[in-house]
Amino acid sequence: MRPQREYHIVVLGAAQFVQNVWIESYDPTIEDSYRKQIEVDGRQCILEILDTAGTEQFTAMRELYMKQGQGFLLVFSITSMSSLNELSELREQIIRIKDDENVPIVIVGNKSDLEEDRAVPRARAFGLSQNWDNAPYYETSARRRANVNEVFIDLCRQIIRKDSEGSRTSSDPNRRREGPNRDRKRDNKRPRNRRGPCVIL
Amino acid sequence: MEQSEPPRPVFHNYLRAFYPFHPAGNVSPSTVTLPLDQGDIILVHSVHTNGWADGTLLDSGNRGWLPTNYCEAYDQMPMRPLLKALTDFWDIIRGGCGSSLKDFGNQDLMRGPIAGVRFLLEKSECLTRESPLVRRFDGLRRIRKALLSDLSSLVKTAKKFQEVANGTPSEDEVEGILDEMLLKAFKIVTRGVRFLDVWNEEVGLSRTIAELESNEPRDQYDMPPTPASESFSCETEHPERNESRMMESRMESRMESRMMESPQMSRSRMDMSRASMRTESLDHPPRPVSVATKRVSVSHRMSFSGPSASIRAQNLASERLGTTYDAFLGVLGSFIGLHMQSRSSTELVVTTQQAVQSCRALLNVVESVCEHDTQRSVLLDQARESMCEKLSELVHAARDVFCPAQSSDEDLVFMPDEGKRLVDAATDCVRAAGNCLARARLVLEQIGDIELDPENTETELEQKPQERQEISLRLPPPPLQIPSTTYSPPTPALTDATTPSSFQSHITNSPANLSALSSLPNSAILPTHLENMASFSSTDSGYPESHAKSDMTESFGRGVTSNGSSFTYNRHARDSEMSGVSQTSTRATSPDIGGSFQGSFHGPSLKESVSHSTLAEENEETEAHLLEKTYAHELIYKEGSVMGGSLRALIEKLTAHQSTPDALFVSTFYLTFRLFATPLEFAEALAERFEYIGDTPHAAAPVRLRVYNIFKGWLESHWRHDRDNIALDFILHFARTRLVVDLPTAGKRLIELGEKVSAVHGPVVPRLVSSIGKTNTSIASYIHPDTPLPPPVLGKKETNLLKSWKNNEASLSILDFDPLELARQLTIKESRIFCSILPEELLDTEWTRKSGSLAVNVRAMSTLSTDLAHLVADSILYLEEPKKRATTIKHWVKTANRCLELNNYDSLMAIICSLNLSMISRLKKTWDIVSAKTKSTLENLRSIVDVSRNYAVLRQRLQNHVPPCLPFVGTYLTDLTFVDHGNQSLRTLSIDESKMAVINFDKHMKTARIISELQRFQIPYRLTEVPELQAWLQNELVRVRSNGEITAQTFYRRSLVLEPREASRSGNTLQSQSSDYNHSLLDNAKDKFDFLSWTNQSKAKSVPTHG
Repeated sequence: MRPQREYHIVVLGAAQFVQNVWIESYDPTIEDSYRKQIEVDGRQCILEILDTAGTEQFTAMRELYMKQGQGFLLVFSITSMSSLNELSELREQIIRIKDDENVPIVIVGNKSDLEEDRAVPRARAFGLSQNWDNAPYYETSARRRANVNEVFIDLCRQIIRKDSEGSRTSSDPNRRREGPNRDRKRDNKRPRNRRGPCVIL
Repeated sequence: MEQSEPPRPVFHNYLRAFYPFHPAGNVSPSTVTLPLDQGDIILVHSVHTNGWADGTLLDSGNRGWLPTNYCEAYDQMPMRPLLKALTDFWDIIRGGCGSSLKDFGNQDLMRGPIAGVRFLLEKSECLTRESPLVRRFDGLRRIRKALLSDLSSLVKTAKKFQEVANGTPSEDEVEGILDEMLLKAFKIVTRGVRFLDVWNEEVGLSRTIAELESNEPRDQYDMPPTPASESFSCETEHPERNESRMMESRMESRMESRMMESPQMSRSRMDMSRASMRTESLDHPPRPVSVATKRVSVSHRMSFSGPSASIRAQNLASERLGTTYDAFLGVLGSFIGLHMQSRSSTELVVTTQQAVQSCRALLNVVESVCEHDTQRSVLLDQARESMCEKLSELVHAARDVFCPAQSSDEDLVFMPDEGKRLVDAATDCVRAAGNCLARARLVLEQIGDIELDPENTETELEQKPQERQEISLRLPPPPLQIPSTTYSPPTPALTDATTPSSFQSHITNSPANLSALSSLPNSAILPTHLENMASFSSTDSGYPESHAKSDMTESFGRGVTSNGSSFTYNRHARDSEMSGVSQTSTRATSPDIGGSFQGSFHGPSLKESVSHSTLAEENEETEAHLLEKTYAHELIYKEGSVMGGSLRALIEKLTAHQSTPDALFVSTFYLTFRLFATPLEFAEALAERFEYIGDTPHAAAPVRLRVYNIFKGWLESHWRHDRDNIALDFILHFARTRLVVDLPTAGKRLIELGEKVSAVHGPVVPRLVSSIGKTNTSIASYIHPDTPLPPPVLGKKETNLLKSWKNNEASLSILDFDPLELARQLTIKESRIFCSILPEELLDTEWTRKSGSLAVNVRAMSTLSTDLAHLVADSILYLEEPKKRATTIKHWVKTANRCLELNNYDSLMAIICSLNLSMISRLKKTWDIVSAKTKSTLENLRSIVDVSRNYAVLRQRLQNHVPPCLPFVGTYLTDLTFVDHGNQSLRTLSIDESKMAVINFDKHMKTARIISELQRFQIPYRLTEVPELQAWLQNELVRVRSNGEITAQTFYRRSLVLEPREASRSGNTLQSQSSDYNHSLLDNAKDKFDFLSWTNQSKAKSVPTHG
């Protein structure tokens, strides 16, 4: 098919994720500020990332963002419980707009470098993850660049899986609930189990 | 010890050749090699992984490739600001000639070299001509004088350039002067290096000897040179290399044994990797350019590094033990390596001193462990004493090596015995230290780890700041890391037997060649010896002669160089700029740089060159003039603009006398200073500037006036009562006691202003919002004030309808009004809020604050935008008939189109957003009726507000837009958020050994730039307001908003009621529609669609959760 895949990723929630923190000087017109190339299971993928940071109050815009996305990073700050609580509404909206229970989603607990200010116990985040059909949960630090790449890779892997399922005639919507496709070869490469998805650095 | 910085690959900006490199034979024409003499300083542009570096030789201005294993990093602390200034200078001149004109229009860049020279002289205690050192040492005095005359010459050229640049210079003229300036700057640096060499020889030597003798090795930053004979220590094998290999294995075995002993194996592993990385990163300021690191050879050492260390207890004794021991090993390793194959006196001096220092650091830690050990472990005491012994043996050995070099003038013979003794002593020291460490660890295991006072090891050094900085000097890159097995440049490498032998032939061949050798800038050759050498060759062998004689060897390399430069001309953009210089400045054609300067390095010709220099006879006044007090070295430049700096350095820049400050710089200050300083600190820093400029009489008047102007501007138009009032008393006091004395009128005016500010609560001078921080004057296209406003498109019918609505007699719908008028009134409404956004609302993500946000207008913008979107949805969804809904959609599309015509992107965005909502877009029956024309208009509008590629289309449109215009505020908010969260607020500047955290001014400049971009559009529209229509619109918006949070869900339910899902077909409907929309949204990337196909397919079977 295509030599390179391109996926749209939308970052929602606590604005402070700022995936392009590694860009020394942010220039929004430069492609690097919103495009990211990553390798997922040996495949090169280009991600176009729409980070809605700063525009949370334009609630009417959300749908526009959500329509754009194929995968979503729902970000909260581990230092703020309310930021976690806001995610459920976002997810519901995504599911409604996408009309799909199994939209690729990764829950991101950001600011893991501020452990001393932690207000969201990991158990809470795990709980949310379980309620959300075991959506993977990562704790990241945009500042330390910890786990940032992993988040994108996980999300991208979900999109690819979804993509290939979708192109099959006999797609089973309940597939994800049954288990994370352990028969796949590329999953074997990953020691991490989708059932125990929290990764903390 | 600093560990907060994550280890980064180090790029050395400057190298110094410790070994001559004269490529002979047929080097391919594509290789531009740069011949090197020992002691040459090279500005490095990039380093290839194979070990070849692209660099410019400061001596000649030639550029080419050179083998890095012939060189070592040059990063002497007193030279740092000067080196940094040269790098900045280069980046400006070579970075882009277009901008350089502007940058040189003001004299700012002269400040860097001036500050650098000042720093060097200050650190060497030679700031004034009257200082004891200058009086005592003739050589020092001369080179100091020459240095200052070089500087003065550069400043003069810069002034000349300023004059030329202000006229209409021809490009050649500009280029010529720029080249001249660059070469002069090179010259200053080389002269500075030479100065430091001489200083080391004359002053550092005697001091260190004195200190060694008192057995209290206090750290001065430099130490005596070794016997000058190292250039004669020609051996066919290079012991340094062997030694380093030996040392490496020694270290490794030691490390292994340590790991075995240590219960904290992983930790010591980590220590090791950290230590080795630190040796890389500490001493040398990392360069923000992403070039390959020089030392490829360390890779095996790096591989020890586990996952990046997070928070570590740095002050634990065990940690400290490990790090100091590692540092000690590193230093001793380099010490041993150096003494087996000496390079330059300076290097040797520094290493010896570092060796002693690192020993002491280790001993300090061990001692504190001892203190904590109540039982006083005998073994540890013994080990410690033994280490002390070995250390003193090392010190004595060092002294014995150094002393003869000073006393016996004729003695040029390398003393292998002494060298061996030194190495033995050092090896013993390493052994004793290992023993000591093991014992200390043992004790720690017994008594438990202890926390050490962070300053513990450094307290005794604290009296002198420069000594404290020396602490980190303990970690120079040890030779273990220089040329190792994995590191093999394709030249005759150091191991190559041909190099030394050819070198030897130089010596034996003829006296002429010998004199050529002596003219190498070999800093290790003491003046006394030089006299000797000179007489060796011929009676009056000034530089030019010896040069002529050695031409045979030299011309070879040089010829290649200039040929090559023209070759590079075609290949590299950056090269091409330089090649102009290289062609004109090879030694043969420009004796000024090559000749006189080169000559000045060495004994007899030193005098000549100084006497050549007419500028050398500058008087004291000029010196003071040149060396004005400045903090310019605390600024970080990149491509000519200030990236960061300490508050005082930034203030200095703000009030520079040579140039009018850049408007954006000033507005950034006013706008953002509260983010990096308290108002009081800001005021105090300004007052300090007012004071210290007094030392520089010729600049005092303009600078003080500027300080006043900054105060004035602050009080007049940038005063924020809520934040700044705490500084008012200080400002008034300053105005009354200081300002009035020097500038009476200004003082009075400032007092008046201050009193006014304390009395009034609003702005003292009426504040035109859109003028704040505005950097460009691109205002709306001029319209004569008498031009009538366009009349409202409002017929009698509409007016009457509005009247009856007011009396509650009729209900209105948007269909009752012309789309143009609707768009106009919406624009007026939004524009009013937009124009009242204050810059401070946009700082520090103020608008996202959950409660008590001061960003009222920004919040009002987002509220209005959301309300408008809801109003659109509401007006469509509460119509029962599909046909009416279709008509309303058409009406909104028309209105949106009118908004576009009015450049009201904010309303356009809201309307399109709303029409795009799934509850609208899913209404298939409705959309079937919407005309193709409306649909295509909608498509067009959608493509404008497309969010993909980070609003590329919208941004493109706004770029050169002429106001009036209402941009979509969201993009600015996103950008501001990114800048705020994506950039650290501090930058690290390594000027001295200590790293200095300075304000990341670039972040604030970026913020200010975005804000000023927004402010550019804060110009009201010339439109007629229709109050009745405004009232109705407002009422509608409020009505929709009052539905509150549940609005979206209500709408969705409403949508489902209007056109219920069709179990099997709805998916297709949705699909066709969403693909419709996605067509516009994603049409630049068609292949995204297969994602929609799965949406459809999986959706068809999934159970809807809502509805």
